[in-house]
Amino acid sequence: MRVWASTLGGFSRSRLVRRVLRDYELGLTSYGDVERTLLEASSAIIGVQVASGLAYVTDGMLDWHDIFRPFVESWRNVTPTGLLRFFDNNFFYRIPRFTGLPEPSRLVLAPRVRKFAPIAEPSGFKVVLPGPVTFALMSSNESGYSLEELSEAIANILAGEAKAAVEAGASMVQIDEPMLTDPEVSRDSAVLAAELSSRIASASGPARTILALYFDVPRADVYEELLNSKVQCLSLDLIDALERALKLTASKGFGGHCAVLGLVNSRVVHEDPIDKLSSIAGKALKDYSGEEAGLTTSTWLDLIPYDYSVRKARILGLLAEKLAHSRAWELVWRAG
Amino acid sequence: MASYTVPVKFPTTVVGSYPKMPQAEEAIKRRKAGEISEEEFLDLVKPAVRDVVNDYVWAGVDIISDGEQARDDMVVYFAERLGGYGRGDWVRVFDNVYFKKPIVTGKVEWLRPMILDHWEYATSISMGRPVKAIITGPYTMVEWSFDIHYRDKRELVLDLAKVVRRELEELVKRGAKYVQVDEPALSTRPWREDAELLKEALDIVFKGLDAKRIVHICFGRLERIIPYILDYPVDQFDLEMKNSNFRLLPFLKEYGYNKELGFGVVDVHIHQVESVKEIEEAIDKLMKTDIVGPEKTYIKPDCGLKRQQRETARLKLKNMVEAAKRAREKW
Repeated sequence: MRVWASTLGGFSRSRLVRRVLRDYELGLTSYGDVERTLLEASSAIIGVQVASGLAYVTDGMLDWHDIFRPFVESWRNVTPTGLLRFFDNNFFYRIPRFTGLPEPSRLVLAPRVRKFAPIAEPSGFKVVLPGPVTFALMSSNESGYSLEELSEAIANILAGEAKAAVEAGASMVQIDEPMLTDPEVSRDSAVLAAELSSRIASASGPARTILALYFDVPRADVYEELLNSKVQCLSLDLIDALERALKLTASKGFGGHCAVLGLVNSRVVHEDPIDKLSSIAGKALKDYSGEEAGLTTSTWLDLIPYDYSVRKARILGLLAEKLAHSRAWELVWRAG
Repeated sequence: MASYTVPVKFPTTVVGSYPKMPQAEEAIKRRKAGEISEEEFLDLVKPAVRDVVNDYVWAGVDIISDGEQARDDMVVYFAERLGGYGRGDWVRVFDNVYFKKPIVTGKVEWLRPMILDHWEYATSISMGRPVKAIITGPYTMVEWSFDIHYRDKRELVLDLAKVVRRELEELVKRGAKYVQVDEPALSTRPWREDAELLKEALDIVFKGLDAKRIVHICFGRLERIIPYILDYPVDQFDLEMKNSNFRLLPFLKEYGYNKELGFGVVDVHIHQVESVKEIEEAIDKLMKTDIVGPEKTYIKPDCGLKRQQRETARLKLKNMVEAAKRAREKW
């Protein structure tokens, strides 16, 4: 089996980035300074991931205030409003308020891919999209359209984003649907998420596609529906609720998808026990017959301080090496 | 000292925090910069506490707080004053705003009173009104800190429970009649095992304490945890209701809720001032649901008012007090 690793998403901001963004907000520096700092900081983040042997890397999304914001700011008929807690974190996102169906005014991802993908060599460059169902469910819908219609409109724009990103050089497209792990999410939402993620996947051409579920473990009935998605890989957070996660993978498997295991705990700062994580990976993949598997972090790395987020990327690389070595799996350390 | 009689029906109260006064902001900055000692800091914040108490008295609130003027953050404030916590590091709260998330690096220990000074000061100027002693609870302290020492959530929560207990003992010894433990993190992880862990912790915190024992929980999935918390060793649950459009009421009814209820009637997340009529209707709604009577209902905002402008906070409280007065005549 081939095994590769990739952090799930964004990184924390370094002191330099925090400072330049603050100075820009206060009118003390120019946008040119912000861009230059972000280029340097993102390049450093990419370097950390490449040097850690991660096959797919992100630019760290250092300028994103939350997962929805860059899209909200690039679309018409939606604005960021008040703050709301982001799942069970002490972190708050701004609730997008839709007053009509969204219309894109510019692309978010493709320009980033053009800027950063060449720096990522030999790793592949991954882009991350908020899943359309999570986007719609976590927004205030004053559009006059149903949740399904709004989700569909969002998915159509995101499919365009994915297509343009892949054309610009992205080799992996990840669709984040953490709301599908909510204990109260409906099965209908899962059906919709499977359908809309399939739509984004089919627009992603030759790139690998992942549906990422984190912060908790989806209910079995929700997961069954998500297994119908046409994405290539399914990513699960195994750490937040280990027993439930292992029970789910044992009973439902990965439905023919490439398994991606969220193993490195990105919400704590202590060192992850690599031997224990190897053993958990073994349990999760016990009856797995896929030809490749991915390893990742339990969630994005932006909920811990910067230095720890860098350290966790390194630990993820070490874990992949250890697992590959101990089980005689082939370690993929560059995009194929 | 002046005496004050808390109304038997629908006493009014606050959850704790109040908009930060400029004197407090400045003092916090100077303390962080190492320019002043803890004693100087506490003294410099006192005028801010006085302003808060004056606002409460003006609005007519019965059971008040010190406005938590000294606290830059509900977790960091305590972490900086306990043994076992090391220096935190910057973690984002929203947009480009951060807090130094504390890190537990050793066994947590109570070192000295942390909230006593301002509680005593507020009590001395409250014209007899009782002042609630309010502290962040052990579960929330753990959830909103990093831990590189215990690596065992239960052990850390229970050790912090002992710390909270020690602090509250000091306050009760000095005459605190209302003690409140804030546990907003519980509703973000609405699982039975977490609720049971907090119960174990609250047994430590409250056992045999001679005061009204209150736990404040807000936002998130309150309805999911209600069945797990009804046997907590507390006299009162102080709950957010208004922001979630009172959706909790049928659940309280269904589960046979019978403790005192801190009933949130003012939304702390909106800047619009609720009218007296609107608040009165909220109280009517509770009474008609027939869960608890007027004697067991405390009228209060959903949560702390710290994110409001001072003038808005004052007006919200004023209308709340007026609505409670009218409700006393009706029920």
